[in-house]
Amino acid sequence: MITHHPSDFTLARLAAGTLGAGPQLVVATHLSGCPQCRRGLRSFWAVGGAMLDEAPPTRLSPDAFAQALARLHETDPRAEAAPRVLHPDLPPPLNGYEIGPWRVVGRRFRWRRLTLPESPDANVIMLKVGAGQPVPHHGHSGTEYTQVLTGSFTDSLGRYRAGDCIEMDEEINHQPVVDQDGECICLAAVEGRLRLSGWIGRLIQPLIGI
Amino acid sequence: MSAPAPSADDMKQWLKAVAEHEDRGAFGRLFQYFAPRIASFMERGGLNAAEAEEISQETMVVVWRKAALYDPAQAGVSTWVFTIARNLRVDLARKASRASAGVAAMRELPMRLEASVEDMALASERDARVRSAMATLSPEQATVLRLSFFAEKPHAEIAKELSLPLGTVKSRTRLAMAKIRAILERDL
Repeated sequence: MITHHPSDFTLARLAAGTLGAGPQLVVATHLSGCPQCRRGLRSFWAVGGAMLDEAPPTRLSPDAFAQALARLHETDPRAEAAPRVLHPDLPPPLNGYEIGPWRVVGRRFRWRRLTLPESPDANVIMLKVGAGQPVPHHGHSGTEYTQVLTGSFTDSLGRYRAGDCIEMDEEINHQPVVDQDGECICLAAVEGRLRLSGWIGRLIQPLIGI
Repeated sequence: MSAPAPSADDMKQWLKAVAEHEDRGAFGRLFQYFAPRIASFMERGGLNAAEAEEISQETMVVVWRKAALYDPAQAGVSTWVFTIARNLRVDLARKASRASAGVAAMRELPMRLEASVEDMALASERDARVRSAMATLSPEQATVLRLSFFAEKPHAEIAKELSLPLGTVKSRTRLAMAKIRAILERDL
């Protein structure tokens, strides 16, 4: 049962295409398991359609239509290969991305990095933290999006289980701890730069490069 | 000499003609309606005129190619066209290579998100209801919605347009958008 969702503001920006690549991937992963948020996305897509209808027509170059016609039968450069599934154990749309090996930091957690070929600057990481361990303490310089993939953790604001998506603003300094019943794997991305504080942060930050 | 705005049914018929008969006349009518609006929409989102026209052309080429995939049970034609333009715009922003244009964004957010049975029944009515709901938004709500669609840094711009301190704009924006969504889905 999903109890934490991305905000409607985030869904609107996702629909509009103005959300950053990293957060978009995290939120899209949430949507793949959340009908309620898919419904929100559709509503905001419909808003986009209405805004398109209301946009004042602009003047195109005189041969715009001729150019479009000439392109209709070009070979489609976008010919879409069937989506690759590299990680059958992960939910779509995550399962098609290259993911680096798990790296160990201290005894408390591991992390691995996702590569988004179309957005090399995006920082999306997967964190695996053991039962009862604190999730690395972090502040952020922008909104942080975290999707729980397996396990659960708790912070001062609530309990987060697999399928939940947590959207945290920079001013919130939360202290999440993984629940006792097992390890927890999360997907995380920030808008802006992730700032990991404390000794773990100082250790990991140069490694992750975020 | 502006032609009367086509109805939603007109657009569906044109798209069907493109899908079933590669009808260039119908495609021309879709182009005449959508291409100048897509370009205008894109310019409003920060693209220059040449980029905006390029996205509008590419969008229409994708409309031609994918016309058979349009499913009226999922969305109105304008909404469908919007999602295509949106994906192309996202990939442009990501400076993706031309060869992969559109693919990345579509992989993440396929236009056909599997719908629940409940969703399917509602899809045909959604567009019309969203339109009438949008007309009832307060000026502040309309500003929040517009800037979340067009602004690169929506919080900063919302703060500026509504004269709100940056410290409170995030919570205000979230609240406003949750209300907007409630209005959009009120009768669904």
